[in-house]
Amino acid sequence: MSAPVVAAEHLSKWYGQVIGLNDVSVEVGPGITGLLGPNGAGKSTLLKLVTGQLRPSKGGVRVLGEPIWGNPRLFFRLGFCPEQDAFYERMTGMEWVTALVGLNGLSEPEAAEAARSALDTVDLLDAADRKIGGYSKGMRQRVKLAQAIAHDPELLVLDEPLAGMDPIARRKVIRLIKERAAGGRSVLVSSHILHEIEAMTATILLMHNGRILAEGNVHTIRDLIDEHPHQVRVRASDPRGLARGLIAHDDVLKLQFEDGAVVLETDRPDAFYGRLTEAAATGALGEIHEVSSPDDNLQAVFDYLVK
Amino acid sequence: MPIHDQSYRRYAGPRNEPGSAWLVIAAAGIRTLLGRKLFLAVMLAAWGQFFVRAVMFYLSANFPTLNVLAPSVETFRQFFDIQEIFVLFVTVYVGSGLIANDRRSNALQIYLSKPLSRVEYVAGKLGILAFFLLMVTLVPALALLLLEAMFSASLAFLLDNLFLVPAIALYALMEVSLASFTMLALSSLSTSARYTAMLYAGALFFTAAVFGILRGATASSMLAWLSLRANVEQIGDVIFRLPPRFESPWPASALVVLLLIGLSALVLERRVRGVEVVT
Amino acid sequence: MSSPHEPPPSPSRPDGPSFLGSVARIYDLSFGQMLWSRRTVFMVLVVGGPVAVALILRLLVSMDLFDAGGEIDGRPVNIDGPVIFGLMIWGFYLSFSVPLLGVFYGTSLIADEVEDRTITYLFTRPVPRGAVLVGKYLAYLVCAGLLVLPSVVLVFFLVVPLLGGSVGAGFPDLLKDLALLAVGLAVYGALFALVGALFKRPLLTGLVFIFGWEPVVIVVPGYMKRFTVSYYLQGLVPHAMPEDGGVTSLVLRVLQANEILPSATVGLVGLAVIVIGGLALAVRLVERREYVLEQ
Repeated sequence: MSAPVVAAEHLSKWYGQVIGLNDVSVEVGPGITGLLGPNGAGKSTLLKLVTGQLRPSKGGVRVLGEPIWGNPRLFFRLGFCPEQDAFYERMTGMEWVTALVGLNGLSEPEAAEAARSALDTVDLLDAADRKIGGYSKGMRQRVKLAQAIAHDPELLVLDEPLAGMDPIARRKVIRLIKERAAGGRSVLVSSHILHEIEAMTATILLMHNGRILAEGNVHTIRDLIDEHPHQVRVRASDPRGLARGLIAHDDVLKLQFEDGAVVLETDRPDAFYGRLTEAAATGALGEIHEVSSPDDNLQAVFDYLVK
Repeated sequence: MPIHDQSYRRYAGPRNEPGSAWLVIAAAGIRTLLGRKLFLAVMLAAWGQFFVRAVMFYLSANFPTLNVLAPSVETFRQFFDIQEIFVLFVTVYVGSGLIANDRRSNALQIYLSKPLSRVEYVAGKLGILAFFLLMVTLVPALALLLLEAMFSASLAFLLDNLFLVPAIALYALMEVSLASFTMLALSSLSTSARYTAMLYAGALFFTAAVFGILRGATASSMLAWLSLRANVEQIGDVIFRLPPRFESPWPASALVVLLLIGLSALVLERRVRGVEVVT
Repeated sequence: MSSPHEPPPSPSRPDGPSFLGSVARIYDLSFGQMLWSRRTVFMVLVVGGPVAVALILRLLVSMDLFDAGGEIDGRPVNIDGPVIFGLMIWGFYLSFSVPLLGVFYGTSLIADEVEDRTITYLFTRPVPRGAVLVGKYLAYLVCAGLLVLPSVVLVFFLVVPLLGGSVGAGFPDLLKDLALLAVGLAVYGALFALVGALFKRPLLTGLVFIFGWEPVVIVVPGYMKRFTVSYYLQGLVPHAMPEDGGVTSLVLRVLQANEILPSATVGLVGLAVIVIGGLALAVRLVERREYVLEQ
């Protein structure tokens, strides 16, 4: 394995009596790594430690081979897109990115050129001269991303970068992240949504309650999910008719009726959802009003893994 | 075996009468502040004068040679003068974030989406600030009066100066009302508690400085009504039946105080809204 | 989406900007932010007040409503333009505006960015955290100076010619006053930058210091007053204030007679220690401190 871009050894962080990160030892290799976990799992704490904003309470973390705390020179090689929606609202996108990339030691024309290039990359050049205060949520996410990539860092750390973006912008950002990895850069990206991470990378770190729960290939995790039966609640005009159509397939393990709805359990959600979408589109099994999946989330997987 | 319904049930217990929700806000705010060590230290410091005066009262009552320490009407007036700085600190500490923090975190919308009127919300917030301000003005002053009677084992001073009881109450209420309303109005104008605190302290000392300059330049205190602090002091002298310390007419000071409270109420009426309508 | 990101020519510079270079860049970034912030409104009010007072005084004099002779605490005083100007420098700028601006800006240097949750963008760049503080401090100094000093000049020209005062004769004093105020801004700013780095609630601490500690301790006999800024500033005041037998000089003479005032040298050394020591300690604290932002 090539040298890790991030190496944490017995890394712990606590805020007073609250443990944010609990004895984490992990190595993150080059390429894209997804940091996955429900809210409160410790993802942001880990990223803040990796980006030198917090000092470890115990243990240590090295980024690109160097300790990060109190080592500002490392930020020449590191770009960070934080989670919080905070900006200098009165600045234009261009002014803001130029000013921040200027802190990397670029001359003013170089900084302006780097900012222009980054804003172009995130498809924000048209709005570059508008004040950030007037940006939509998606635009704000993208300008935040622009400041992180403007100096072309070796390691890009992204904390929930897709939050608030519309599907098209999401797809573009995912493509951008993949392109950076293809260009030899590394990306550490956090999310609490599995399919977002899945669309970017197969390598994930699964976090829960301040610990690394699993690491490795996302498909292994998917297999775990698939082995764990999913509950799906379908509200339909004819729940019994719908149930008759769905129970014929062996991926449906169990069903029960509720008022105006049927609740099913499946061990192969992909196949099941495919058939359900087809049924909804053709109307073959009656009108489907709502599909909800109360346990189709990471928490269910975590509960399963923890048990 | 009786089967119990395990599903969600609406609350069916007794409810408080409409109009009493402000008490919930006030009580929660008071509890929160009492849990802060720094704030307790400020409150303790604010009671420092009370303890010093209490010792002086005790000594004068028990040692005739120390009669010079015996209380007078001026003693109580001075007590309030010295407490002014603590009134400022408590007002800034407690009041600056009362509405500003709610505006910052969009909590105002949540408050006003409950069965709670805007008046109740403001009353609750006022209640928090007024409670602590009364704790550093009215309560220690009345307690001192009581201590005097207890230490001297005589009601003579109290009976001779019975007007002190309403005077203390009236002065404290005026000082607390002015501080609470103006601070709350400023807090409603901003989303930053720090900015609000600076505005309040700035206004207080700015007006005092303007008056100080004009007093020095004109060698007259006719313009005392320009200073927030001087207004309170001027009215205080009248309430305590002492000669007013400034040449300006005290009704002018009373008018300024009333106008400020009215203006603050108007600001609160305009600013405390769940949704800001921009026209 | 545009074509794949083309990195700019050699954007990453491992040598990077020096500490001073970083300070200059943070200054560039912060100055505009500071000058056009909501705080400027407050600042304009603070420095606009004396100008308004000066205009009112001019109006009173022109309408013959101003009595140049009077009494303060039973002492007869002759009041003219330079005396009023001295009063305003002392009573308004030195005792009020400068400390208040120092508290407001000094305690906010880092706190504002923390409150707005934008500190992350500065602390994840290759600049030392100390440079962030010093750059912002310089931006405050220039910003405050640009507003306070012109206000003083304006007040000088409005007030000094009143009641027989001479602008020419008072001009050297104006220069000294401007220097004094600039020093005051620097000292209070540095002190409260330290308070801002040290305390969780720096504003209250700052207000307690300037309106609680300083006015009380400065008149207490002994060494206590040496723990105030105004003690050292007063050492410079006689050289900047009109010494014409006016009210200010009277006050200063009383202070001097009671050995309350330090010499100019002691004043300057004391102030330099506060600025350098305050900033150095603040830099050290900011370098070591973690900032946990509210979500």
